[in-house]
Amino acid sequence: MTQIFTVTDLNERIRDRLENDPRLHDLWARGELSNYVHHRSGHRYFTLKDRDSQISCVLFRNDGVRLGFELKDGQNVIVYGDVGVYRPQGRVQLMAKGIRLDEGIGLRHLQLEALKKKLADEGLFSIEHKRSLPKYPERIGIVTSPQGAALRDVLRIIGPYPARIILSPAQVQGEGAAESIAMAVRALQGRADVVIVCRGGGSTEDLWCFNSELVARAIFECDSPVISAVGHETDFTVADFVADVRAPTPTAAAEMAVPDIEKLRSLLVQATVRMKRSLWSGLERREERLEYLKRCISAQKMYSLTEEARQRLDSLERRLCAAESERRTALESRLEQAEGRLAAVGPLATLSRGYAIVRSPRGLVLSSEDVQQGEVLELILAKGRLLVSVVENKAVEEVYH
Amino acid sequence: MSEKDVRLEEALDDLERIVEELENGKKSLEECLDLYEKGMRLVKHCHARLENAKRKIESLTGELPPGLD
Repeated sequence: MTQIFTVTDLNERIRDRLENDPRLHDLWARGELSNYVHHRSGHRYFTLKDRDSQISCVLFRNDGVRLGFELKDGQNVIVYGDVGVYRPQGRVQLMAKGIRLDEGIGLRHLQLEALKKKLADEGLFSIEHKRSLPKYPERIGIVTSPQGAALRDVLRIIGPYPARIILSPAQVQGEGAAESIAMAVRALQGRADVVIVCRGGGSTEDLWCFNSELVARAIFECDSPVISAVGHETDFTVADFVADVRAPTPTAAAEMAVPDIEKLRSLLVQATVRMKRSLWSGLERREERLEYLKRCISAQKMYSLTEEARQRLDSLERRLCAAESERRTALESRLEQAEGRLAAVGPLATLSRGYAIVRSPRGLVLSSEDVQQGEVLELILAKGRLLVSVVENKAVEEVYH
Repeated sequence: MSEKDVRLEEALDDLERIVEELENGKKSLEECLDLYEKGMRLVKHCHARLENAKRKIESLTGELPPGLD
């Protein structure tokens, strides 16, 4: 008859089988240490792995005191111990009794450093390729797992902002994750103004796909700026180096992608206030100007203007009169002078010395031959005139005797 | 382009330009009133866009997990 086990029985049976196998006792195993946790209890948990496989390990507190060095992720170690089964989870594990450091560092880390160097040499990390993020994106692309907490963190922040959100789903851990992420990034080509590539915290193992060359190149070739947010603050992946901006967490990435909506609102309020204020001050300025112009053309002002014109007229009139009388005085004095000079050369002065001018109706009489006896002549004296009659006409010669 | 399609960025850029033009006070009163009216329309438009921001999530694979809306 077929035996039906309880799960507990089954695990117990597996455990018996494994723990009784001498080949699985006191063995040495070589691999890279990862997911190291030093628990409060003093027990140390970690995963030992190589390129293709891994196994959970535990180092109990009592065995750990002899360790002699600090365990760290990425160390190449050789573990000494027994294989056991952790029954509550049916998990096969290596129960370490001692650990030794192996030579060199993990192969995978060497490969990672080589990849970083190659990409850096090609310029994929260089600052001149970093694009700045749009201030007000209309379309936000998100590359992440639809089930992950990262997506919800991002949506919580950008939800109130009016943009289209385009989810490009990707598998963000495990086999094929790198290919899936790269494809999801490429699928957003021409569809987004900014792209957020993110996933929440996880082990180095979980985040490893973000260290792939495929993902790095897809991010580098993306036609819009990319914000990366992989794991926690302290996790750095190749994707972070290639991205235009690296955010410490998905929430921080979302905050970088969109403007603060409250600031935006207050910006609008400010714009309104500024517009109103400048419109009012423009109106006030015009009112003042109007008031000023009004004062300029008031009746009083007009009256005072005519008054001013009248005064000017008076003053002009006065000046005109003064000028006129001055001109007259000048003319009069000129006339007087001319008179004086005329008198000096004229006949009157001669007459006053006792001479007389004799005129006949035919003109001045200069010779006795010009007149007849008995003719009436006019004598012009210095004072007065005489009409005389010629009594005797004598010859010219006789006058001087 | 109808006013609904104006990108938020363009609307905010326009608004900023209008505020500055109003503040430097070189425009005529008619122009100022026009600018003011246009500016207030942009403010209203932007407010409306902010208030009506519904979650518009689409998935390139067409599938959205429940509970996102």
